Amino acid sequence: MSEEKLMLKVEHMYKNFGITKALQDVSFGVRQGQILGLIGENGSGKSTVTSIIAALQSADSGTMYLEGEEYKPKNSVEAIEKGICMILQEKGTFDLLTVAKNIFVGKEELFVKHGFLDVKAMNREAQKALDAIHAENIRAEMPLAALNFEDRKLVEVARAMYSNPKILVVDETTTALNRNGRDILYEIMKEMKENDKSVIFISHDLDEIMSVCDTVTILRDGVYIDTIEKSDYAAPVLRKLMVGREVSDNYYRTDKESCKNPEVVLKMDHVSCKDVKDVSFELHKGEILGFGGLGDCGMHILGNVAFGLTDPDLGKVTAGDGTVIKDAHVAMQKKIAYISKNRDQETLMVSCSIKDNVCLASYDKIAKGPFVFKKDEEKFIEEHSKGLEIKMQNTDQYVMELSGGNKQKVALAKWLGFGADIFILDCPTRGIDIGVKSNIYQLMIELRKQGKSIIMISEEMAEVIGMSDRVIILKEGRISGEFKREEGVTELVLIDYMV
Amino acid sequence: MANEDTNKKKISFQVIFPFLGLILILLLFSILTGGKLFSASSLKSTMNDGIYILLGTIGFTLLSAMGQMDFSIGFNMGVSCAVCCLVANAVSIYASIPAAIATGLVIGCVNGVIVTKTRISPMIATMGMMFILQGGVLVILNGSVLQAPLTMMSLYTTPLKILLLAGGIVLGFVLLEKTKYGRISKAIGASPETVRQTGINANKYKLITYIIVGGICGILGFVSLARTGSATNSTGGTLLFNCMNATLLGGVPLTGGPTTKFRGALLGALTISFLVTGMTLMRISAQNQQLIKGIIFLIAVGICFDRKNLKVIK
Repeated sequence: MSEEKLMLKVEHMYKNFGITKALQDVSFGVRQGQILGLIGENGSGKSTVTSIIAALQSADSGTMYLEGEEYKPKNSVEAIEKGICMILQEKGTFDLLTVAKNIFVGKEELFVKHGFLDVKAMNREAQKALDAIHAENIRAEMPLAALNFEDRKLVEVARAMYSNPKILVVDETTTALNRNGRDILYEIMKEMKENDKSVIFISHDLDEIMSVCDTVTILRDGVYIDTIEKSDYAAPVLRKLMVGREVSDNYYRTDKESCKNPEVVLKMDHVSCKDVKDVSFELHKGEILGFGGLGDCGMHILGNVAFGLTDPDLGKVTAGDGTVIKDAHVAMQKKIAYISKNRDQETLMVSCSIKDNVCLASYDKIAKGPFVFKKDEEKFIEEHSKGLEIKMQNTDQYVMELSGGNKQKVALAKWLGFGADIFILDCPTRGIDIGVKSNIYQLMIELRKQGKSIIMISEEMAEVIGMSDRVIILKEGRISGEFKREEGVTELVLIDYMV
Repeated sequence: MANEDTNKKKISFQVIFPFLGLILILLLFSILTGGKLFSASSLKSTMNDGIYILLGTIGFTLLSAMGQMDFSIGFNMGVSCAVCCLVANAVSIYASIPAAIATGLVIGCVNGVIVTKTRISPMIATMGMMFILQGGVLVILNGSVLQAPLTMMSLYTTPLKILLLAGGIVLGFVLLEKTKYGRISKAIGASPETVRQTGINANKYKLITYIIVGGICGILGFVSLARTGSATNSTGGTLLFNCMNATLLGGVPLTGGPTTKFRGALLGALTISFLVTGMTLMRISAQNQQLIKGIIFLIAVGICFDRKNLKVIK
C-alpha cells in the first residue's frame, strides 16, 4: 500500500459520547480504485467513523488526509465540495418535494434564472442524474411521497452521484433496497472503482461484503481490529474477528422436519387489501411460518392485517377459536404479538425508557388496581428480559440510545412479558448484527419448542429457509409458492417464485 | 449519535430550569418589593390566585402528557361560573356546586368527543370551543354582570382552599406518576402509533382526560363565584395563558411523552402564582402584566421546548 495511491487516510481517531468510547485510536486507509468494506457489530463505531469522514460530526482527536493533504472539513457541505458523499442508513429525503427538488436540495441556485426557479431545467438535469444511475423508472417531476422506500433510497443515490464524488460512503443502504436497487448500487460502485475512485461500504451482510469489497476493515467496540484483502477472505474468520469469539456458521435450525401439529391458531381467509390479493393460509400451533418475497410483494402489509391494524377489504382473519381479528385489541386478547418492520416508529417508543417500553403491553398485569408501582415494573422486566441479555446501563435508559439489536430485544421483551402465543415478526433481524441475530434465532427455536407459533416475514431468503417449518412466497400480492421444510428448498428455487 | 451527548446536557438543563425559574422569580420580587412578597397578606393572595393556576396547570399537564391541549379551559371556567351563578340565584347556593361541575364536565366531554371522533386537531377543535364559550358567557350573562347571593361568599373558606390545593396536588401526582392511566398517557404522547399497535384505545384515555379537565374548570367556576360573588364576561380570562405559561415554565413539553413530570406542573404553577402576586405588589397594570407574561412565555418556549425531533437522533 504505497502512500501516493491512498485516497483517504484516517489516523489515530478518537471519539467519545459521554462515557461511551465510540472510537479509540482508529487508523485505516482507502486506496484509489478500491472498495473498502467496513464491518463490525452494532456499536463497533463504523457509522461513527464514516460520519466523521463525511463531516456529519467531528472527531475528538485524530487526523485525516485526503489525497495526501490534511483534510479538516468544517461541515458536510465542505466534505461534498472536496468530493466525499455519504448515503445514509436512515431516511434522508423530503417527502413533500419532488424527486428533482430532492436531488438538488441546497443547490437550487444552479437553476435560478432572473430570480425564478427554472423547474423544467431542474427536472431535465435531475432526470439525467437518475438515468446515469440506471433508475429510469423514477421520473424527476414525481413527488417523492409517490415513491416507495427503495426508490427513495435511489433518489439519494442519484443525489450523491450528481456531485461526482471521489469517495462514496454507503452506510447500510442495501438493507433498504431490493434486488434491482442493489444491482444499481453495485454497478455504481464498480464504475467508481474503474475510474480510480474509492468506495467505503458498510453492511451487516457478510456475504455481500465479501462479494463486493476488495478489502475489509474490521472494527469492534470502537477499536481497529484488522484489515483483510480479498484473497484472504473466509467467512468464519471475519465473523470471529467481528464478534471476538467463535460463531458457528450454522445458527439456523438444524432439524429438517416441519411442524405436524394440526391445531390451527390463526387463519387468513381470502384476504384482499391494498397490495394483497386473495391470500389464504393457516398457522398451526408450534409452527414457524415464513413469508418471503420482494420488498413490495405485499408481505409486510400482511403482518399488519393479521394483527388487525389494517382492515382487509375482502376476507377475514380469525383466531383459532373463530374470533374475527378486527383490531389490535382483539388480536392481543387472542395473545397475538406484532413487531413491525418499522420497529423504532411503530413498536417501540424510542424517546421512552426501556422500562416504559417493556411494560406498555402489560400494565393490566403489573398494575394493582389503577396503581402502578415502580418495584412491580422492575420485577416484571427482571423476569422477562433475563434471558435476552439486553445490553443496557439500567432499565431507565432511553431506548434510542440502544443499538438496533438491543432495541429488537426490548421489543421482544415487551411481547414475551405480555405472554403472547403467536408472534408476527416482520423483518426481525433487519439491520442487526450476527451476535444478536443468532440470539433471536435461538429464541425463536425456544418459543417453537414451547408450542408458540411464529409468522416470520423477511426479505432475507436464507433466514426464511433456515428457520421456517413452512415457507410461503408472495409475488405481487398473491401466493406464488408454498414449501415444507423437508422439501429442502434453496434460495435459487424461491427466487424463481418471487420474480 | 452526535446529538445524543448535547441532548443529554440539554435534558439535564431542562430539569434544572424550572427550579431556577422559581428561585429567580422569588428572589427578584422579594428584592423589588422589599420582602413584601412573603408577608401574610401577599401569601394569602398568592394562595387565592394559586388555586386557579395550580388546578388549571395540572389539568393542562394531564393533556399535554398525551400531546393534547385544551384552549377552552378559561371560558369553560367562565361559563361554569355563569351557570353556577344562575343556579345559585334560582335554586340554592348548594345546588350551584354540582351545577358548575356538571357544566364543566359536559363541555370537557364535548371537547373530547370532537377531538377523538372527528380527528380535528386538538388546537383547532378547542379553539373553536373557546370562541363558542366566549359567546356563551355573554348570552347567559345577557352581556352584563350577574351577582350571586351574598351567602355564596361564605363558602369560600380556608379549609376549602387548602382542600382544593392539597387535593389537587395529591390527585394530580398520583394520576400522572403512579397509575396505569399516567403511564399510558405519556406513552400516547411519546408515540401514538406504538400505542395503537399495542392494542390500547388511546381515544378512551383522551376522552377521559378532556372530561377531567372540564371538571376542573367547573370546580374553578364555582371557586371564582364563591370568591368574587359575581360572574362576569372576563371570568377565567387569564386562566388559559397562565396555565400554558406555567406548564412551559415547568419544563413540561407540549408534545407530551416521558419527560412530562408532575413536578414540572407544580413548579411552573408556583412560579406563575408568585409572578402574578409580585407584579400586583409592584402595582404593574394588568396590560403590562400581560406583556411581561408574554415575554416570559416566549423565553420558556425557547429554552424548554425541545425543538429537535428526538427520532432523528440515532
